[in-house]
Amino acid sequence: MPDSLLATHQLTRSFGAHRAVDALSLQVNAGEIVGFIGGNGAGKTTTMRMIMGVLSPSGGDITWRGAPATEQVRRRFGYMPEERGLYPKQPVLSQLIYFGRLQGLDGRQARTAAGQLLERFGLTCRAGDKVESLSLGNQQRVQIAAAVIAKPELLILDEPFSGLDPAAIDSMTSLLREHAARGVGVLFSSHQLELVQSVCDRLIVLARGRIVADGTPAELQRRGRTRYKLSVGAPLDWLDSSSRVQVCALEGHSAILTLSDARDADALLREALRHGPVYELSEVVPSLAEIYREVAA
Amino acid sequence: MTVETTADPPVQPAAEPEATGIGRRSGVIRLVAAHEIQVKLRDRNFLISTGVLVLLLVASFGVQFYLTKRSSTTTIAISSSAGQSAVRQARAEAHAAGISIDLKPAQYATDSDAVHAVRQKKAAAALVRRNDAWTLVGLSSKNDTITTWLVPSLQRQSVADNAAAAGVDLGRLSRNTTPSYTLLDPNAGRNEAASRISATVFGLLFYLAVLVFGAAIAQSVVEEKQNRVVEILASAIPVRHLLIGKILGSTVLAMAQLVLVVALGLLGLSITGHAGQLALVSGAGWFVIFFLIGFAALACMWAVVGSLATRSEDIQSTSPPMTVLVLSVFLIGILATGTTLKVASYIPLLSTIAMPTRLVSGDASWPQALISALIAVLAAAGIVRLAERMYRNSLMQTHRRMHIRDALRHQEA
Repeated sequence: MPDSLLATHQLTRSFGAHRAVDALSLQVNAGEIVGFIGGNGAGKTTTMRMIMGVLSPSGGDITWRGAPATEQVRRRFGYMPEERGLYPKQPVLSQLIYFGRLQGLDGRQARTAAGQLLERFGLTCRAGDKVESLSLGNQQRVQIAAAVIAKPELLILDEPFSGLDPAAIDSMTSLLREHAARGVGVLFSSHQLELVQSVCDRLIVLARGRIVADGTPAELQRRGRTRYKLSVGAPLDWLDSSSRVQVCALEGHSAILTLSDARDADALLREALRHGPVYELSEVVPSLAEIYREVAA
Repeated sequence: MTVETTADPPVQPAAEPEATGIGRRSGVIRLVAAHEIQVKLRDRNFLISTGVLVLLLVASFGVQFYLTKRSSTTTIAISSSAGQSAVRQARAEAHAAGISIDLKPAQYATDSDAVHAVRQKKAAAALVRRNDAWTLVGLSSKNDTITTWLVPSLQRQSVADNAAAAGVDLGRLSRNTTPSYTLLDPNAGRNEAASRISATVFGLLFYLAVLVFGAAIAQSVVEEKQNRVVEILASAIPVRHLLIGKILGSTVLAMAQLVLVVALGLLGLSITGHAGQLALVSGAGWFVIFFLIGFAALACMWAVVGSLATRSEDIQSTSPPMTVLVLSVFLIGILATGTTLKVASYIPLLSTIAMPTRLVSGDASWPQALISALIAVLAAAGIVRLAERMYRNSLMQTHRRMHIRDALRHQEA
């Protein structure tokens, strides 16, 4: 049983007649990186805002380690909103200290933590500069520093990878992994499916305010019937759909098919070998994009 | 971004929330207030405007000081010791009557030297004897101090001389000849003037403070909204604490500026010898109290003005109701008289200027002021609650400009 940190139960939010989030139940476990994917308007940002307490739910509730998530508890969540927020005309260091203190650090702790983060991001020499004078990439670094400064137990990151160059994406990825390794739960949203697949331990797919898929990438890829690809050296005119084999697509010397029972693969292979050489009989693993299109349709 | 693994220990569930309740709440509010003050003190515009205000005050007192110094000394050119004693006599009489004038005799060798000094504007007039009588020679106009004090004094001295020469007892002759002139309410006129002046001064101070700091609060709120910082702030602390912290920070700064201006004003009054007018400031204590209450209420409303906008530019279209309100408070406060003033002194916001004005003129007593202050506090509390709701409702609406109606009705974005 994984150590569950955050859970939402039947979480709902309506804007007028529009139901943006509809009875959504999810959980984020300790040390787990959860990717939150879905199209525009699927309800990702609304859900994250409710988790952070910025928006109040119309229904349902949010718990932290099994107890209702209070304002006190939420201050241990690090947050990076979809639209980045920093004071452009204030110096980097004093700004980070302010955010750290708002999240419960005392003055000395906030100063130390801010200094360490700036050093880590190579921004120590820019500590006294106004945020607006930094490049966008560096502003993004300051933004993530603001989210992690108080050593949060949960990170809620809305589109943390948007606008990052490949090097910054790698750096953000290792930052998330590092926090997860310390037992921090991470929930992040993204449109970049390949990236999500490579970073997260678990995926939650959202469509029209509802969860349409939830599982590890491998689980999602194996949901439903496993499809096989058969590739042979002779025409496949002998292959017909039967109660045990269903042909999905047939083209020349290769076919995509499903089997009623995985053990029928042996029989299928023997049958194919009887008709000529067999080049390939393998499981077809769908890409996340395919799964996403399928579940979100 | 270069990233290496850190030596941070694994996260342990925090056993107990660090601080709870009032301590934590006031800590957050103080933090926001301190941040607000820190930002403002680093803001060049604020520093310059405060500097200009102080300079203007110092300069105005400097000019007054110069003018009083210059006009208060009246030099009389004389050429005889009799003239000198005549001038001193006049000065002594003025002092005896409680009027501080500076009549200064300046000795010259001859009468024509004395008159020459007048021509050269070294003296206001020359006092010389011609045909056995005192004669005053001025340049282009008659000097008021001389007409009021020196002329009658010389006249009395001459009458006394003539009486002595004629063997008349002047004391008996002049007994009971001067009618006494007493006043039933000697302070009434002065109070009327004092209350008018104090109303204008208080009113102007309040008006300026509310406009300058109010606009700054609105600006600071909309900037947080525009830069989306507000979402991070709202996720870390309750919006109510954010609002109260902002108002507190601005109020502290406004009060500091007010104290600076009032202190400079008092200093200026005492330096320029208008210490008598210090009585004006007896209402200042009450003014500070009403200033605080009125400022806090209006500051909240300014925060709403800021939260209704999405960009700094929008403030121009969301602020007119506030500008009109503040101007009305000011104008009614300084212009109202009689019953209107009495009524205004109990109406929240209007009472900010109206009640201290009545206190200075002696028209209101402190229990009345207390009642008015209580009404103002209750109203301010109501305004703060309403403003907080509107602020919360419009704060997360970062994509469109809100209308007051929406903010009141909207069930939080």
